[in-house]
Amino acid sequence: MNTISLKKLFYFEKTPLNLLMAFITVALLGAFAAGAVLYILHGHHAYNVTRQHPWGLLISMYVFFVVSSTGLCIISSIGHVFGIPEFQQIGKRAIAGAIITISSGFAVIALEIGHPVTMLIYNVLTPGLTSAIWWMGTLYGMYLAFICLEFFFLAIKENHTLSKFFGIGGLLVGLAAHSNLGAVFGFLVSRPSANGVFYPVYFILSAMITGCYLIFLMYGFRYKMNFPAKVEVMLVKLSKILGMLLAVLIFFEAWKILTAVYGDLPERGATIMHSIKHPNFWFGELILGMLIPFTIILVSNAKAIKATVYASITGMVGIFFMRYDLVHDTLLYPMRTLKISEYELAPTFLEYFPSFAEFAIGFGGIGISLFLYYVADKVFNLDESHSH
Amino acid sequence: MARYGMALNYKNCINCRACETACKEENGVLLGKDNYRIWVGVKEAEGLFPNISIASQTYHPSQCQHCSNAPCQLVCPTNATYYSKDGIVKVDPVKCILCTYCINACPYDARYVDQRTITVDKCTFCSDTRLANGETTTACQATCPTKVRVFGDLDDPTSEISQLLAKKEYRRVKEHLGTEPKLFYIL
Ligand code: SF4
Ligand code: SF4
Ligand code: SF4
Repeated sequence: MNTISLKKLFYFEKTPLNLLMAFITVALLGAFAAGAVLYILHGHHAYNVTRQHPWGLLISMYVFFVVSSTGLCIISSIGHVFGIPEFQQIGKRAIAGAIITISSGFAVIALEIGHPVTMLIYNVLTPGLTSAIWWMGTLYGMYLAFICLEFFFLAIKENHTLSKFFGIGGLLVGLAAHSNLGAVFGFLVSRPSANGVFYPVYFILSAMITGCYLIFLMYGFRYKMNFPAKVEVMLVKLSKILGMLLAVLIFFEAWKILTAVYGDLPERGATIMHSIKHPNFWFGELILGMLIPFTIILVSNAKAIKATVYASITGMVGIFFMRYDLVHDTLLYPMRTLKISEYELAPTFLEYFPSFAEFAIGFGGIGISLFLYYVADKVFNLDESHSH
Repeated sequence: MARYGMALNYKNCINCRACETACKEENGVLLGKDNYRIWVGVKEAEGLFPNISIASQTYHPSQCQHCSNAPCQLVCPTNATYYSKDGIVKVDPVKCILCTYCINACPYDARYVDQRTITVDKCTFCSDTRLANGETTTACQATCPTKVRVFGDLDDPTSEISQLLAKKEYRRVKEHLGTEPKLFYIL
């Protein structure tokens, strides 16, 4: 840990990239603040969520952040929990990222849950043990505690045994928490397109992919694409892992779609067909999120790590669409199937587009992440320490 | 203890929506597009002119089904949604955190956000406004000009609803989900 002055904290080399990142960070932080003010003034009226579409972009962004966090935690565990030597170096950076992204997620969800304080009280007093949200929330609280302690013993008061102990704890609790988040959707008997085993498993898989993308982005930015040999070796290995994970994801998605449309079960086949025809899916999820990175890794035999860093940008955009579609597609099919007023058509697939406040808060969360990462990078030495 | 349910002679419904008005009046449900505990769904006539099936145009009065195995109750993280001792599914506004998970989980679109308490609300079988005062009918039932609704205790074999269900064929909505709804649509 470095003790630094405030002046030093906000000093950075004025390269175009750094200036761009600084501008984006400040703009997004401003957006978050603006969105928060709108929410405080107008409550959920500031959002475009309705009775029929009660969840929207903020739930997506919450999932986006906690997927990122769990992913970073899983990928970092390859090194310091499972002891693969090349991956030891990412430990601190990845765990710092995991703490930062989940904190951003909590900041976003605090502005979506109507009564967060009531939640803290009654989660404890009258726990709903059959609720996936209860488990997810409780386990993520524990997870945050674990990874904070892990980081403490990695970066502040170095202690290998304890950091490994909390690392294993964080990994296990994180996996449980994250699959429970998948179950929040998978348990919905009312939504045949989401109900089932797919989401809990898919969440873990896509978390690992997100973790890989984020490691590529963090290292690409850290070394400005001039990777030292040691980092390059690690990134080539990571790229192979990423390629394999993407292949599994594509396979998995293909079978999800085929089983969903096969036989055209009511409310399921049509919903999935409707969602895969949308550009959010075929362009956002498929091309940006899976095919571009996968092709680059495949064609270059995982060696083109600079290209993979760029592909990680499209990859993260794709991951965003996966999270957005997860929520929207789950709610796509209307639960009220008959019209109730003369002045409407019979209900069909629901429409939803986020409001300004939702965009501001949801994407503003990314600003929180960027800012905290900048600070963490200054205050803690996130590169591998040389004492071991 | 009673186990309350409701039978609907839905084919008698004339879509006058007196029930919607009565419910709002009795339970203080606010005006606004999303604020309703009860509604009448209109199924439009099928067929192309001139072969339009008049019989296919039907009205489906609906409200919370008071499921015996309620998905909304299962998913509630703070047990704000609970079964009353009479089997009525209710929301405790003190405990509701407005996560709206239950709105997603209800297969019948029976829930909405009450803007007075900023918590989730739904049909209560008028338990606070009428049953608690010793009344034996609900507002939507009492007001209905064609007497669509029969409300009562399913556990009491002599109640009007039990007698009716013993004699008539009925169906329940989305029964395949295993929610065990307590709204019975008399065929
Ligand atoms: S109809 Fe919906 S709100 Fe009512 S008990 Fe069933 S699941 Fe709950
Ligand atoms: S919105 Fe309220 S009643 Fe519904 S699940 Fe959440 S806490 Fe329970
Ligand atoms: S039973 Fe009462 S609360 Fe329920 S719909 Fe009828 S009037 Fe409204």
